[in-house]
Amino acid sequence: MSGLIAFPFISPNYYVYMLNYMAVNVIVAMGLNILIGYTGQISLGHAGFFAIGAYVTVLFIDKLHVPFFAALFVAALLAAAFGFVLGLPALRLEGPYLAIATLGFGMAIIQVIGRAAVFGGRNGLLVSKMSIGPYVLNTDKELYFMIIPMTVILVFAARNIVKTRVGRALVSIRDSDIAAETMGVNVTYYKTLAFAISAFYAGIAGGLYAFVIGFINPGSFTFILSILFLSMVVVGGLGSVLGAVMGGIFISFLNLKLESVQYIPGFGDMLVIISKKWMSVTGLPNISSIIFGLILILIVVIEPLGLYGFWIRTKKYWKTWPF
Amino acid sequence: MSIFSAHDLTISFGGIKALNHVSFEIEKGAVYSIIGPNGAGKTTIFNCISGLYAPDHGEIIFQDMDITNLAPYKIAGLGIARTFQNIELFSRMTTMENLMLGRHLHMKTGLWSGVTLFSSNSKVSREEIVHRERVEIIVDLLDLQSARDVFVGELPYGSQKLVELARALALEPKLLLLDEPSSGMNNEEKHDLFYWIKDIRNLFDVTILMIEHDMNMVRDISDKVLAINFGKKITAGTPDEVANHPEVLKAYLGEEDA
Amino acid sequence: MFLQLIISGLSIGSLYALIALAMVIIYKASEVPNFAQGEMAMISTFVAYALLITAKASFVVSFLGALLFAVLLGMFIEFVALRRAKDPNILNLIIITLGFEMVLYGLASWKWGAEQKHLPFPISDTDVIQFGTVVVSHLDIATMVVALIVMITLFLFFRYTKLGIAMKATQQNVIAARINGIRTNRITSFTWGLSSLIGAVAGILLSPVATLDPNLMMDPLLKGFAAAVLGGMTTLIGPVIGGYLLGVIENLFGAYVSLEFKSVVAFLIIVFVLWFKPSGLFGKHYVKKV
Ligand SMILES: Nc1ncnc2c1ncn2[C@@H]1O[C@H](COP(=O)(O)OP(=O)(O)OP(=O)(O)O)[C@@H](O)[C@H]1O
Ligand SMILES: [Mg+2]
Repeated sequence: MSGLIAFPFISPNYYVYMLNYMAVNVIVAMGLNILIGYTGQISLGHAGFFAIGAYVTVLFIDKLHVPFFAALFVAALLAAAFGFVLGLPALRLEGPYLAIATLGFGMAIIQVIGRAAVFGGRNGLLVSKMSIGPYVLNTDKELYFMIIPMTVILVFAARNIVKTRVGRALVSIRDSDIAAETMGVNVTYYKTLAFAISAFYAGIAGGLYAFVIGFINPGSFTFILSILFLSMVVVGGLGSVLGAVMGGIFISFLNLKLESVQYIPGFGDMLVIISKKWMSVTGLPNISSIIFGLILILIVVIEPLGLYGFWIRTKKYWKTWPF
Repeated sequence: MSIFSAHDLTISFGGIKALNHVSFEIEKGAVYSIIGPNGAGKTTIFNCISGLYAPDHGEIIFQDMDITNLAPYKIAGLGIARTFQNIELFSRMTTMENLMLGRHLHMKTGLWSGVTLFSSNSKVSREEIVHRERVEIIVDLLDLQSARDVFVGELPYGSQKLVELARALALEPKLLLLDEPSSGMNNEEKHDLFYWIKDIRNLFDVTILMIEHDMNMVRDISDKVLAINFGKKITAGTPDEVANHPEVLKAYLGEEDA
Repeated sequence: MFLQLIISGLSIGSLYALIALAMVIIYKASEVPNFAQGEMAMISTFVAYALLITAKASFVVSFLGALLFAVLLGMFIEFVALRRAKDPNILNLIIITLGFEMVLYGLASWKWGAEQKHLPFPISDTDVIQFGTVVVSHLDIATMVVALIVMITLFLFFRYTKLGIAMKATQQNVIAARINGIRTNRITSFTWGLSSLIGAVAGILLSPVATLDPNLMMDPLLKGFAAAVLGGMTTLIGPVIGGYLLGVIENLFGAYVSLEFKSVVAFLIIVFVLWFKPSGLFGKHYVKKV
């Protein structure tokens, strides 16, 4: 904990930015994990809720002069409301419908944002500095002290949800929806609730993300981003709070690193040579998609519990070590 | 006084009449058994009662209320709990958590109060503790202490069946539906189960409706028996009356060791 | 005007129908909506491009080569990952298809970059035929005819060939099929190959009117799903009709309501169907057995 407080004072600015970015992703992963890991439902449209969070927060502050926290809260509630309306019809049904509906939602949101003038169309919006009352948060460092505490609170809130009655109802649906409903769990209600919670988390994260990045446009919220969110949960380990934190950090880190993959010593050089010979150098950054895709496939084939599963196994291994 | 009755239950699946005008009635506090060969429609009766299937025709009355087309979770809310023939447990939850889910309807913690669980003295924690104590009673009754913190997916089959029974009990049902509770158990386990069912009937204020193939068990603990075949009621009466009914004998003769 | 809209709607709709058909074939066999379907078609189309432009092969060789590639790709994906999932529930299977979606997208972008390419096509989309007041391009006609041929062949295939009947049996009931001596693993693999082939046909037919880049099939992927949901995912004819309907509805919406938001129609249709007719226009509703 004290490490988290001291961190921005002792490390270069880029790393503070990186932590902010990771924290935002951890929030999304935490919400998405409640949906995917605990309730067993999938979303391929969380970039859409993330976008709602970002745009609504920014517009409420800039156009309506609503204070930051109120704007953020309204944005997240709006994301949750969208989640509710979308989730309800799809979640009454079994099968692939939620996946398909959320795919459509994610794509439709970018279309709308990209074409409507209020949202700045394709050019996007410039985000002014965050201000809390009279204070203006000018640097990444100041933002850090805003974002990290919120992340910690949201992580603990998620932990509390999954540990108590609501959480048990969600897990029961994941493990056997038939048994759950014959034990008195209103399955449609709880599935929709899980979906709305995860949309709420994505909304909060989106609102914070706008300030971390300083600029938002439709291109930042594509289908690929939705899959990136999904891979955080899958990599971390479905149905584990710690896993979502680990997954969010790991995938964010990898994503930032892979943006400049050609500068990684050794590996990068090798990739440049391969690119020149068989592929294309300008296309090289797209290698991140390949790597994330491979990670998803490998996890399902090898270790469905993700990093969390590895962690448990290693712990077991050391406990019983020389035997 | 009858606590439960079914009238003219009829349902078909693509041409197969799984139930064909089946009616029966259960006295409060009784142990009532359903017997019949494989595919007779026994489980289908349960599925209609718990609201998983909607009968094409007929009605189901529980405590003078028509529950025929209620949603399953509402039916559970009226006090009907069940077990499944092919175990439907929450396999990645521990035994304790499975039973705590059985308390779902009796607990109040919602989303917001759950989020604010910060001290061991909060209302949420106190509620958890109260219900944990209730669940412990059932754990003790069915001798499940050693399975308490094990993921139920990792338990042996016999124990899983018991956890399912325990979970249904945790709901404090007024009507308990048991679908072949002894299937897959060895003799010793069956023997224990047999006494537990008697205990349950005596200790809790519950009526039991049971599907069972083991005729000795059926004869020993049932007050009344319903025999069905091909979705049709053959007869209903005391265990001895039913066991000696010519059509029941005929239905079972085709089926060797049933 | 109205008739014109219908005709061009049917033309693009026949591509949606093909994609939806490809998806439903896999859905029935492996019980997973295949989110890699679009990228499988996209990369197959790029293979046609590479053969045609880079290797300077003829149209026939290039297109047949691309289709062969598509078949192998479909079988490969099923073989290396789908059947190896540790816990093959729908969630995990969806994740695998998303993984391939990412891999294929990344590969295509790495190799061909984001710059837009043009796949030359032997049939013109500017030469037209006039029927009264309606004009139809040669390409539109070819598209509709090819799609129809593919669909009819497919129905005959499922009906009259041994392999097709085995596939259908496997889709309906894997265990029963296995008991009857069908090697269901191999059949599932073929099914993926066949589905990939159909998708590739759609991709190649689409590329002359769209620009060829790694995003080629992003939108059509959603359209395919919308068509499948609209028609119902339990039959084969449903998605086909769903595809044609979607093409026409989309066109009419674009002309009479809003051209700007035309691409949101597919999403709205999905939501409407889920609210009002969840099993789709032609689907059947199954009661899960417990
Ligand atoms: N959801 C369903 N879809 C199709 N057919 C069904 C369904 N549920 C039950 N059936 C059919 O209804 C008939 C009765 O089934 P049911 O499960 O009630 O039998 P049962 O008496 O419980 O038999 P068993 O002793 O084998 O458990 C069977 O022919 C079964 O195949
Ligand atoms: Mg049965």
